[in-house]
Amino acid sequence: MKARFTLTKGSTQYRNYRISVWALLILIFLLIGFAFVDVGSISIGSNKYNLSLIRLNKAIAYGVAILGLQVVVGYTGQIALGQSFFFGMGAYIAAWLVADHSWPFLLTLLVVVPSCFLAGMIFGLPALRIKGLYLALLTFGLASIFPTIVKLDSLNVYTGGANGKLTGYKFKAPSWIPLDEIAQMLQNIPLLGPFFGDGPLSNREESRLWKYMLFAIIATICFWLISNLIKSRPGRAMRAIRDNETSAAVSGINLALTKTISFGVASALGGIGGAIYVAEVGIASPDDFSSLVAIYLIVGLVVGGVGTLEGAIIGGLVYALIPDWASSTQSVAFVPERWLQGPTGSLILGILLILLTLFMPGGISTALKKTKKKYIQIQNPSLK
Amino acid sequence: MDLFLQRLFDGLTNGSAYALIAVALVLIFKATTLINFAQGEQAMLGAFIVLQLWNWGLPMWIAVITGMLISGLLAGGLERAIIRRFDPADHLPLVIITLGLFLVLNAVAAIIWRYDPLAFPQLFPHGSALTIGNARLSWYSIFAFGSCILVLLLLHVLLNKTKIGLSFRAVSSNLESSRLCGIKVGPTLQFGWALAAAAGTFGASIYAANPVLQIEPSIMLRALIFSITAAALGGLDSLWGALLGGLTIGFIQSVLVQYIPFIPNEMTLAATVAVLLIVLTFRPSGFLGTKAVERV
Amino acid sequence: MTNVLLKAENLTATYGQVEILHGISFEVYGNEIAVILGANGAGKTTTIRALSGMIDTTGTITFNKEDISQLEPDSIVRKGVAHVPQGRGTFPELTVEDNLRVGAFIRSDKEVESDIQNCYDTYPVLFERRSQSAGSLSGGEQQMLAVSRALMSRPELLLLDEPSLGLAPQIVEALFERFLIMNKDHGTTMLIVEQNAQIALGMADRGYVLEAGEIAVEGQASSLINDEAIIRAYLGG
Repeated sequence: MKARFTLTKGSTQYRNYRISVWALLILIFLLIGFAFVDVGSISIGSNKYNLSLIRLNKAIAYGVAILGLQVVVGYTGQIALGQSFFFGMGAYIAAWLVADHSWPFLLTLLVVVPSCFLAGMIFGLPALRIKGLYLALLTFGLASIFPTIVKLDSLNVYTGGANGKLTGYKFKAPSWIPLDEIAQMLQNIPLLGPFFGDGPLSNREESRLWKYMLFAIIATICFWLISNLIKSRPGRAMRAIRDNETSAAVSGINLALTKTISFGVASALGGIGGAIYVAEVGIASPDDFSSLVAIYLIVGLVVGGVGTLEGAIIGGLVYALIPDWASSTQSVAFVPERWLQGPTGSLILGILLILLTLFMPGGISTALKKTKKKYIQIQNPSLK
Repeated sequence: MDLFLQRLFDGLTNGSAYALIAVALVLIFKATTLINFAQGEQAMLGAFIVLQLWNWGLPMWIAVITGMLISGLLAGGLERAIIRRFDPADHLPLVIITLGLFLVLNAVAAIIWRYDPLAFPQLFPHGSALTIGNARLSWYSIFAFGSCILVLLLLHVLLNKTKIGLSFRAVSSNLESSRLCGIKVGPTLQFGWALAAAAGTFGASIYAANPVLQIEPSIMLRALIFSITAAALGGLDSLWGALLGGLTIGFIQSVLVQYIPFIPNEMTLAATVAVLLIVLTFRPSGFLGTKAVERV
Repeated sequence: MTNVLLKAENLTATYGQVEILHGISFEVYGNEIAVILGANGAGKTTTIRALSGMIDTTGTITFNKEDISQLEPDSIVRKGVAHVPQGRGTFPELTVEDNLRVGAFIRSDKEVESDIQNCYDTYPVLFERRSQSAGSLSGGEQQMLAVSRALMSRPELLLLDEPSLGLAPQIVEALFERFLIMNKDHGTTMLIVEQNAQIALGMADRGYVLEAGEIAVEGQASSLINDEAIIRAYLGG
């Protein structure tokens, strides 16, 4: 099939295309932020669907954690299911530093990242001996013990036990960012104005918007770093291990080092995701980091697309939005009410996981790429 | 001393239930070299089916057997519709599929039966069979352990003395040669899945029939980790190993953790995962597993 | 020698993107021993796997005048074709006796037990080890077991994939002598794929030389074995 447009890498055209795509993405991102900061819901029939920034902020948190899974599962090919452990670890460390030591949120990342990285490397050590299914078993076990660990009496002082740990942290947008003015401006656009709410932003809305941008910046940095890592030597080593461990070892790749680093990076990202999560919800509670969460993160990984960076973003959105929308759906024609009231979200995610693995193994991001290829073709200059 | 005995008895009770789920995991592993993460949920759903049949008026043991048949049929259908499409050597998609089944089955049970605990039929007589000092060995414990042995004996006969058992062992030993000997591999694996689901349903029914427990959709969530560890401890491809592993985990849980002062009570799960880690790192073939299974 | 038992016509097979067999045709007559010779990678194993339905092929395979090209391996065994795969293909976790029983899987007649006894009479060592696991046998013993296992299905045609591979010369000789006896005494038709041209041609009736997925030479074994040019060109002898 012939593409509608053909672009060559390195040409001016290609650069303009890249710049405009990025500009468009940032614009859409900001518009969504301002549009959904106050109301954030869409009504379809008698059902109201939440789109508020709270959901999107959670999506960013999940997205970063899923990015970690991309590194260890997608690129290194290790069946590690325990991401919720590090997600929880990051969340609890951040909550503890903020609540008990009054650290500002951003600073906690300086502790979260190295400690999760180290913990990940340590848990990666058995993976040097344990492979395939056995690793899946062990990491699943790891995921399931996290809640019992933070509920331990001896850790109560740090973790708050079964009640969870409140952070009590308020995000305040720096005054040099004219959030209010932008909001006013958008509200004055004819026709589309009402979509962006009414009147100046409340403190709460400003803080929410600021968090949204801040988290997005953190996430963007993570994605940028990982996309560079993947293209670099260690990234190639990871993919070599995924494709064939023996031939990777024979061609001089240090299996032990590459695997442990991959586990470390993945866990650090899990920790960052957890820190973002706790910054959004304001409390770290044990059951938010159960083995079910570990499975949901795998759902995000698979639905977005294993081994693709964009897949992590899609996966985060799927995880944050689908269970929520499912529980907001109170009536659908021909579906008995009972089937809408239980854990419908879990059911839908499970079905999605199975259907995508069966029929669309590349996930949504691969399907999108295929669609894009029909319209825009990117060539390598050397191919001419 | 009484306390110690009592804990031994408790370990026997829980260990028998874990062993039965572990047996189901082992059957699937032998058939498809796959760890079925949904095994616990399949068993839970099977036990709910038993409960439903009993509520509809079937005698309880008829309900158990019918429930085992139904869950076996369902599992056979799952194997045919989903599992068979995948290359057994490629683990990731299969692990993902079983995680998907885990979510779906758990949600379906919760939607149909809600989260409220329900009373399960009392399959075994009440009261204690044996009292030593203050330690009481209940009839339930004896029957739970006894039925566990019975199931294993039946499976042993089925696998070693029948033609379908022979084909099952052949397929799990060498898939290609099995086809060359005229064995229909697909239906044989399907039989393995059905057998595993039936054994799992039996296990969950025994577990739920514990007088101190009621049945609810999350009943097998914790038990799954214990059973997985039990299966790994036994060697993953050994049925009798699953029994040994199950009992060991039961005893670790009720005896060891209680008597080591620096391990808090809530750490049984963590202690189990630690056992899993140690076994997989240092002796992947477990107590009775085949050495060749080491590198999967 | 006009009764064609097996006939392959225009057989092609691809592995991934690569075509391994480029439309080969050959036949095996009833009661004969035919061999397919060729170097590594010539497509010998692919050919024999195509015959028993283990890989997808195009072309026609007829056995006893019946088209079996589209059948699954388990149905082809039931038609009377047994296959001893490369690397023995025994069931390592099963006992020797169970291996033989699996071999008789498609049968339900009363003579299975006496056939097992016959195997033991032929190879007393299998009787000694009947309750050991097949994985514990030596290479030669495993090959005996593999052949016995294949015979347990009472095949009309026995396909053997490199039976000499990895075995000591004396054991290979004994094995091939046994093939000859089976052929003469019981009339078992055999198609043997081999790299070891000398010993294979020494006992066979006819031979084919496979080279890069095509049949380069065919003829009576006695004439092939004496053709210096062929031996040198294709068989590295």
